[in-house]
Amino acid sequence: MSDLLDIFTSAALYAAAIRLALPVFFAALGEVFAERSGLVNVGLEGMMLMAAFGGVLGSDLTGSPMMGLLLGLVFALVIAAVQAFVAVNLGGDQIVSGIALNITALGLTAYLSRAIWEGGNVPQVNGFPTLDPPILSDIPILGPILFEQSLFVYIAAVAVAVSWWALTRTAWGLRLRACGEDPRASDSLGIDVIRVRWQTMLICGALAGLGGAFLSLGSLFTFSDAMTGGRGFIALAVVIIASWSPVKAVWASLLFSLCEAFALRVQTSDIELPAELMLALPYVVTLIVYAVIVGRTAMPAALGRTYVRE
Amino acid sequence: MGGSFGFGEGVGALIARTSIALAGAALVGALVLTAAGLDLATTWEAIYEGAIGDELAIRNSLLEAVPITITAIGVAIAFRAGLFNLGGQGQIYVGALAAVLVALYLHAPGAVVIAIALVASMLAAGAWGGIAGVLRARLGLSEIITTIMLNFIAFWLVSYLVRGPIQDPEGDGYPYTREIPEPVQLGLIGDVVPVGAVLMLAVGVAAWLLMDRSRFGLKIKALGEGEAASRFAGIAVPRVTIVAMVIAGALGGLGGTASLLGVQHRLSDFFSPGWGFDAVATALIGRGSPIGTLVAGVFIGFLRSGIQTAEGTAEVPAALAQILLGVVVLFLIIANADLVVRLGRRLRQRLARGRGEALERPA
Repeated sequence: MSDLLDIFTSAALYAAAIRLALPVFFAALGEVFAERSGLVNVGLEGMMLMAAFGGVLGSDLTGSPMMGLLLGLVFALVIAAVQAFVAVNLGGDQIVSGIALNITALGLTAYLSRAIWEGGNVPQVNGFPTLDPPILSDIPILGPILFEQSLFVYIAAVAVAVSWWALTRTAWGLRLRACGEDPRASDSLGIDVIRVRWQTMLICGALAGLGGAFLSLGSLFTFSDAMTGGRGFIALAVVIIASWSPVKAVWASLLFSLCEAFALRVQTSDIELPAELMLALPYVVTLIVYAVIVGRTAMPAALGRTYVRE
Repeated sequence: MGGSFGFGEGVGALIARTSIALAGAALVGALVLTAAGLDLATTWEAIYEGAIGDELAIRNSLLEAVPITITAIGVAIAFRAGLFNLGGQGQIYVGALAAVLVALYLHAPGAVVIAIALVASMLAAGAWGGIAGVLRARLGLSEIITTIMLNFIAFWLVSYLVRGPIQDPEGDGYPYTREIPEPVQLGLIGDVVPVGAVLMLAVGVAAWLLMDRSRFGLKIKALGEGEAASRFAGIAVPRVTIVAMVIAGALGGLGGTASLLGVQHRLSDFFSPGWGFDAVATALIGRGSPIGTLVAGVFIGFLRSGIQTAEGTAEVPAALAQILLGVVVLFLIIANADLVVRLGRRLRQRLARGRGEALERPA
């Protein structure tokens, strides 16, 4: 029991939870934009995986994690562009195209990692280090948890604020939400639905890409097949749990990641709990919270429906 | 979340669209191989030889096709009810777990154990799929999300068991169970056809009977056409939803068990190399029709097996199979997209009109 207490009172648990929340959070934030405009993007997992791969490739080629991040974002945006073209321009089935892109990304990254690195032995690459900002990290307890983190945590904080402002306080955000509620009416009011939805899908791709690139460049510094581990789907659940709000998405992502951080810390402690069962915990908790919360939130009325101009 | 993917379309359109998509994927495949510096003719020959070059190749291809196809037929049935079962992976693990417990710990004549193992796997995996069905029908949870969560839960459960309680004590610590006894293993009929392939065919026929010759099949398809309308028509939507997911789960379990009893002979935590997702692509390529899915599954089994063999003989990367699957589905979505379908209709109308004019014009 005292071991368990030690885990819950250690700053390391909460610092790890924030770190582990990032990939899910970025993807969920991207999905908020897409879904608010009426697009459901099941291809988050594929976008993240492509970005995680591109990040490692770019960093390996140039030695610079920043170039890696850029290449990762480009890869994720390519997936987003295909998804936007199929779903927005052609009026194809959004869910099926997301599924197809996930399958393609899984195959493509597995294929390329073996084609590029002999025998598929992906090297360790330069990534983004943990920062140690003066003054801020000296704050007791909160310093190590909040500020001794990767650059991505700071990006995430800015992204929440900007997203909240853009979605709820700008004319663009209003038009975007109108497209998600009633695309036909929005169209007749002169809103370019196709343009708005292309924008949100690309934003979604960029944010999911940030999440994927952080997974490889910010925490593991390498790539392995299917390393996203279903986080793209966790993000889909997070969006619903957060009722399509950027701010609530922070808390919902942390819920998942706290379970994951706990499971990982139990593994390295003396506590006699089976590690594999603990690793199932984040998925169990996400499922339960999803079941409890769903139905109490209102989703965008036109979510997932094909809209093609007559 | 309604879709516009061409489920339930006519045979002519199905064949036409699938041919176009396959041609597109073949083109992408050729590009990928050329980019990798491989010669197309030798690559194709290696894949062809690996898939159906001799009796051994055909047998291996059929064995590869069985778990994917049986699982895919379940996915297809759920599709027709408007449900996306991405949980094949978890259902395969849960089904194989039930089967391996029966096969290892029930001491009875081989045929009896096999029969009980098959039933147990379908019950367990059916219940696992049913969880997603109940959550969808009673609480409105998206099965796309719940089935993925259930995949991970099933995987870690099996991973725990094969590293602990049911681990092979003589397995040098590998995460797998003991091998199932010889009388419980499924063999071959003659020299080429595995018993699992017969099972696969039987499942295809049974699914066709269910979907096209039974009243319950009609209800499933009505639900897939529209939930509100089918509720209006007096269909018990929750019940049909749950049963469709139970069937999908049960077939996933059966698919996994066919591989357990026929090929792998033990459960490990690397048991299914992504069959659950291959099954989704297969069911999409078969456009939700049981027979279409059966055909697609066998084709994909041969393709995968051919590419796997070619990896050894001509250095063709095995992941190529996965890329091709994704690309075929992507092309199919495009071929079934609203705009493309409408363009096609307009083109046909214009052609018909053109022909009419030609007839009217005096010679």
